Amino acid sequence: MSIRRESLTTRLLKHGYLWLVLAVTFLPFYVMLVVAFKTNSQFFAHPFVFTFPFHWENWKTGWDAVGVHIANSVFLAVTATVISLIISVMASYVFGRYRIPFGDVFWMAILILLLMPGIANLIPLFNLMKELHMLNSLVALSIVGASGGQIICLYVLRNFIEDMPKEFFECARIDGASHLQQIVHVVIPQTGGIISTLAILQFVGQWNSFILPLIVLRDPSKLPLAVALYRLQGAYTKQWGPLMAAYFISAVPLIILFAFTMRFFIRGISEGAIKG
Amino acid sequence: MARERVRLSQIRVYWPLYLIILPSVFLIFLFMYFPALSGTVFSFFRWNGDELATYINVRNYQLAFTDPKLGRAFVIVGILFVAALFQMIPSIVTAVVIHRISSDKWRYWYRLLFVVPMVVPAMVGLLIWRFFYDPVVGLLNSFLMSTGLLSILADINKYLVDAGFGSHIVFKAGQPPSWLGDPNLVLPALIIYGFPWIGIIGVLIYLSGLEKIPSSVYECAELDGVGWLGKFFYIELPLIATQVRVNLVLMIIGVLQGYWLILVLLGDSGGPGGAAMVPGLYMYHNAFIEREAGYACAIGIILFVIILILTGINNKYVRVEK
Repeated sequence: MSIRRESLTTRLLKHGYLWLVLAVTFLPFYVMLVVAFKTNSQFFAHPFVFTFPFHWENWKTGWDAVGVHIANSVFLAVTATVISLIISVMASYVFGRYRIPFGDVFWMAILILLLMPGIANLIPLFNLMKELHMLNSLVALSIVGASGGQIICLYVLRNFIEDMPKEFFECARIDGASHLQQIVHVVIPQTGGIISTLAILQFVGQWNSFILPLIVLRDPSKLPLAVALYRLQGAYTKQWGPLMAAYFISAVPLIILFAFTMRFFIRGISEGAIKG
Repeated sequence: MARERVRLSQIRVYWPLYLIILPSVFLIFLFMYFPALSGTVFSFFRWNGDELATYINVRNYQLAFTDPKLGRAFVIVGILFVAALFQMIPSIVTAVVIHRISSDKWRYWYRLLFVVPMVVPAMVGLLIWRFFYDPVVGLLNSFLMSTGLLSILADINKYLVDAGFGSHIVFKAGQPPSWLGDPNLVLPALIIYGFPWIGIIGVLIYLSGLEKIPSSVYECAELDGVGWLGKFFYIELPLIATQVRVNLVLMIIGVLQGYWLILVLLGDSGGPGGAAMVPGLYMYHNAFIEREAGYACAIGIILFVIILILTGINNKYVRVEK
């Protein structure tokens, strides 16, 4: 970007700054890894360097503590992501292509929600779920999560569909494609990149959801990861090794997800999935 | 693409369109608008969160405006909000530094590396921080004590107290401070939390703005002899004003809704002496501990109005310079 060749010092300064910041950002990883192999006596003697022998059994204990909750969270996040994307792709097709009577009223109702914080809703939402007998159910939680999560998807997708060339749809329609077929064969292939970025955002959002599951779920075996870890740290205070191993294991599903999708994600956000 | 107009008379052909938007619209009205409305209604009731509800008109709101605890909660969240404004700086600086790296390959790699910490669940990140704050085994105190910073802090503390700027001896040499247990240290601990305060989504949003700056702008600046600091203040900062605004909105909502963080770090009464009782947590506390759900709804509505006003001010006064 610059026309002049920059000096070595400037370059060193820039890279040095970034590496310094990265080092601090990665500190939690380091701490988790180091402590996860320790017994408590090793931990109190040398807390933040590797000590031998490694205690691999900590990982077994850690897995036993969080395994089922990882499964719950995967279920919750996958269902909520899939539901929110299906319904928002369908609705944005209509909002982006047609001006139907009362359509703009619905659209305004959706846009206002972009600004409305969930905070005012929490208690009445809990009450509503109680009335509908939706407490203590992961499926219910994922539906509620999807209804909130779809709003940002609707906003982003509608803008994209509105900018798509009209000819795509005209051709499909002449070939006799129904609305649903147009969504599947025209909209989804064209917006694939943006859909995957939104999917990751939804997944991470659900993965980290805490307050609603905390107040809605009663059954300990149904708790998603965040709530389970919150409860666990009270029970395990004295066993740092297995606790840190459990923390590290909790990051694995997202490591797998990001290993495959990081490129889309960075490109999607950088190219303005979220416009100003 | 101009949208196709469907007239009311054509509805017999186009009615399936309503079917397609139905799931979306139905869920929004059921799980977002209905609770919002019923919350507004319940804010005029004394309600225990169950069957028992008595209409008390605006008494919840009167109570809210005279409740010293709520007033204090707003002061505390105000302090956190000001801190959060400063905490936006590292993300902006990091985005600009990444943008100014001249090699395409490295620019890409830095983005990748900064995204990696996103894999840690938010709760794990928080619990690790809680562990950092631990007075005996925590990393923060080990760092302060092994570097001798603690005795320096103790000296400064003693000097300030002697000079009359405050009356609390918080740091004593050789005695590990209890970050989450000392009412005087809770707020500093919450402000340190998340150091170095890099939000990767924020950085990516800034980068998306920075990348739209044409290189001719930089060339002109170089010909005029503008230095690196000048480029930041005259080119980069004004041209990413839109992105700053987006991140500011996200930050406002994040600070006011981020009470779960305090719930995990300090418990549902806001830590020692309620030193970190923020409005969101106060609402939660009233609803689920004190069983005053009507009052909690009123607090929720007040918070909602405040967020609307703040985002409104943001959109009006943080103008984009074209």
